Amino acid sequence: MKKQENITREPVVDGVAASGTSNASTASTASNASSASSGSSGSDASNPESGLSRRTFVKGASVLGALAALGGGVGLFTRAATTQEALAAEDDFEVRHAFCQMCGPARVHCSTHCYLKEGRWLHVEGNPLAGNNASPGSKTLCGKGQSAMQVLYSPSRILYPSKRVGNKGEGKFERITWDEAMDIIVTTLKEQKEKYGAHSYGVLSPQFYSVLGTLGRRFLNVHGSPNYLHSGICNSQRFFSRQVTIGGSTHDKANGTDSTQLDKTKLLVLWGYNTENSAINQGNPKTRLDAMEKGLKVIDVRPMMDAMASKADVWVPVRPGTDTALVMSILQVIINEELYDKDFVENWCLGFDKLAEHMRDFTPEWASPITGIPEEQIYEVARMMGTVKPMGINIGNGVGDQHNDSHWGVACMCLISAITGNLGIAGGGSANMIMPPSLIKTKPIDLLPERLPQSQEDVENGWMAGVGNLVAPETPRWFQRAETQESGPTSAYFKGLMSVLTGEPYPLRFVFGQSSNPLSATRQPKKVAKALQGLDFYLVMDTQWNSSCIYADVILPACTNYETSQQFAVRNKANGTWIGMNQQIAEPLGESRSDWDFYVDLANRMGYGADFWHGDMEECLREQLEPSGISLEELRASNEGIFIERTDGSKPQEPEYQNYAELFKDLPEGKVQCFNEWIGGQLNNLGTGTLAYLPEYKGPAENLSTTPDIAKEYPLVITDVHAYRLCNHGYYVGVPYLREYQPYPWVKINPATAKSYGIGDGDWMRIVSPHGQIQMTAKYFEGIAPNVLMTRRGWWESCEELGLPGYTGFDDGSEVNVLYDSNPENFDLFNSAMSKQTLVKISKL
Amino acid sequence: MSNQQYGFYTDTSRCITCMACAIACKQWNGIKAGTVARRKVHTIDTGTFPNVTRTFISMNCMHCSQPACALVCPAGAISKREEDGIVVVDKDRCIGCKYCFFACPFGIPQYNEDGMDKCDCCLGNGVPSGGTPHCITACPTGALKYGTTSELSELVAEKTVRFIGVESLPSSVVT
Repeated sequence: MKKQENITREPVVDGVAASGTSNASTASTASNASSASSGSSGSDASNPESGLSRRTFVKGASVLGALAALGGGVGLFTRAATTQEALAAEDDFEVRHAFCQMCGPARVHCSTHCYLKEGRWLHVEGNPLAGNNASPGSKTLCGKGQSAMQVLYSPSRILYPSKRVGNKGEGKFERITWDEAMDIIVTTLKEQKEKYGAHSYGVLSPQFYSVLGTLGRRFLNVHGSPNYLHSGICNSQRFFSRQVTIGGSTHDKANGTDSTQLDKTKLLVLWGYNTENSAINQGNPKTRLDAMEKGLKVIDVRPMMDAMASKADVWVPVRPGTDTALVMSILQVIINEELYDKDFVENWCLGFDKLAEHMRDFTPEWASPITGIPEEQIYEVARMMGTVKPMGINIGNGVGDQHNDSHWGVACMCLISAITGNLGIAGGGSANMIMPPSLIKTKPIDLLPERLPQSQEDVENGWMAGVGNLVAPETPRWFQRAETQESGPTSAYFKGLMSVLTGEPYPLRFVFGQSSNPLSATRQPKKVAKALQGLDFYLVMDTQWNSSCIYADVILPACTNYETSQQFAVRNKANGTWIGMNQQIAEPLGESRSDWDFYVDLANRMGYGADFWHGDMEECLREQLEPSGISLEELRASNEGIFIERTDGSKPQEPEYQNYAELFKDLPEGKVQCFNEWIGGQLNNLGTGTLAYLPEYKGPAENLSTTPDIAKEYPLVITDVHAYRLCNHGYYVGVPYLREYQPYPWVKINPATAKSYGIGDGDWMRIVSPHGQIQMTAKYFEGIAPNVLMTRRGWWESCEELGLPGYTGFDDGSEVNVLYDSNPENFDLFNSAMSKQTLVKISKL
Repeated sequence: MSNQQYGFYTDTSRCITCMACAIACKQWNGIKAGTVARRKVHTIDTGTFPNVTRTFISMNCMHCSQPACALVCPAGAISKREEDGIVVVDKDRCIGCKYCFFACPFGIPQYNEDGMDKCDCCLGNGVPSGGTPHCITACPTGALKYGTTSELSELVAEKTVRFIGVESLPSSVVT
């Protein structure tokens, strides 16, 4: 183990110690450090390849693994790699760094080491230098991450550009060249811009996707369209609701109810929060399990007893779609039994008396038949939440974006957190530890918002540019300001697509679906398919075929993260700052091309080259890296990234507690909105009426308590999980290592219910709602109520290796979105969240 | 290497059935999907809604102190290594009779075209004796541990062992 081969940057003590927060000193640290790392290899920063051979870097990587393990924190019996082990790994494999893309394309959650032999990627593990899973030295990855190789080499990869030759939906395509494809796209976009205006172009945003969030948004702005069609299935929904209830200067900085100081929290309430499926290797559940071992009490609210729910102290199996009723009744008990912090309420709440008056009748007795939760359990939970302090509430996507009254559900949770005095205290909400400044500064890609034309209407109303032109505003137009939606205006995904069918307020003409399958990412694929069919132009760019491709006019083959080296990420941790960049693991398969390159090329061909580095993505990367003082070549050559240790002794600091004047400064009267003066009485997002001031329970369009006539014919409730640990939404279902564990579309069903219909464990069953029908296999599960079914959406991917088919997204297929209501009037009128609960009848197939 | 007995420990209070260990095992040992599974994560649900107890336990070969599989193997294909107690299979000698499967109290042995297949603590993929098997490295919650029996016993003594409500299975498995 030769120290000089260690590719970690040696910290330059004087550089960092004196740095404070200035970029310049960090930059000098970095450039000084590069020479310190050269050691015997004699590299220099400007040309590391000259001195540090490929082999040296590989060897460095092995040694580093050993060092990181020795550094501790990995686990009691995880051993440091022995010298022999390091050498064996070095001789057998080439190790390259890449961010795992199993939580979505262009994601940078987990940094990984990819082990290649003879050019083929065989194995993967976590990069110990990157501090994955909130654990310095960790090499852990989740099950999805362990399977990443199979995404790169999937037989379902799209390899060539093609254009439609049959009718839309017929699925007949002809291979074309990239130049031909780009010509078609550019000609169409230019013609449409001329004829219908730039706003006739819209992009589908699935889960957050960096390419779209940066270059895609910049392209929209320069082209002149505000129509970023945001999915409505996102943390944005709960951010908006928190922001208007308990403050936070911008959407991204909305105050939280979750605890970020779990070691000080006594009670943690998890509501529709599913990290054992959605974010396994991102620090939670590990940190929660650690805290539970030290005595943290946990209440877990969600319909199905997933793994972490089974470990909770109290599991509350709320009936899907009724969370808002449940939280309203909890709030009622806390107010009625005076379990709130009177000082706080008196000084920092707006309209508490009106709230108290309004909530009077929303008792546990009212909520129990709606939610399926016994009154006693509602009282128990409410009293725990009202008395145990510090308490944190983790609000997940399960409640934030999948209910048509999600705004009021989230708002009530925020109000509980506030009035019980749990905001701004250690172990409660809005009290994040303050990290010492990052030792590596980079420049985010400028979205060029000033390039989006501001209409007369925008100016007159004080809206941010483009808002007046939105095809289907996600939040109300009046709310879409730079302070509330800092990344720009948004339209709602489903409602935006429906403009093609309704022509209201104008039809979109060109939709770009990049790593998003609209037949599964939103409600009612039958309507979405009609919209895609009616579109003038539907462009798809993806790594793999998805079921919406048959409606495409042009299909473009995208690279995986692993075939390109165009993304880096910085992680600032207590012990230092790390920056890492994707290494290219393989040559692009077929004619596949990076999404980053595609955008800068498209812009260049459109005549927007001056704003897009003249089509050169390398220039874009250099611009982003400029403040760091680290060159692109240097970063790429560092392989597993560059870590700058914090040597000035600075540590994460506790925030200033109970600084309510600051926390609530952006709220009307600087107070928590018990009576919501911000949104109440203002136009809703459809422009059809006004929003309420006080909490309202709406419930799904079809549900057991408010639509008894429908319930007579359709007696069971169905919903689907937001995330599942063996795929990424509908993507990666065809990955062999993962498909093995979920070979057939499944629905969890209580055994007693299944038996009453003569349905055996594993049997195919038909599920029929007022809106459509699907087929799934029954999976017996006691951890779900007898009148509730829970499934997972997105089954279009086949798995050749296991001989398993994909399933269609329409009637008699296996896409649960077929079953749900999709009337936009029923969506949340503030944040456009769509309910995904309905009533069904079932039978054995 | 002194005479040691290495083994695995699953802390069922931390296992969340994420399958990272099981898939890490496959990818590092080059095992194709849909064939053998050296490591499996079992779920045991007891009770009826809403009073349900769930236990997740990641299991593989126990590397028993007196491996029944080795005792019954007519071909002498299974042996226990003196230096670390790891039970290994010589696939060249395996005749595929499956006696070992019937002898193993945990149903561990599986078979492919080469013969019996089971965990070898990653010896076969280059992890040296005493090194950390990949399933352990993979585990995101720290539920899965590997070490000598004395190390593991210490760990178990330190932990508050949660009784899991299934008498036939211990809450934590140490061999």
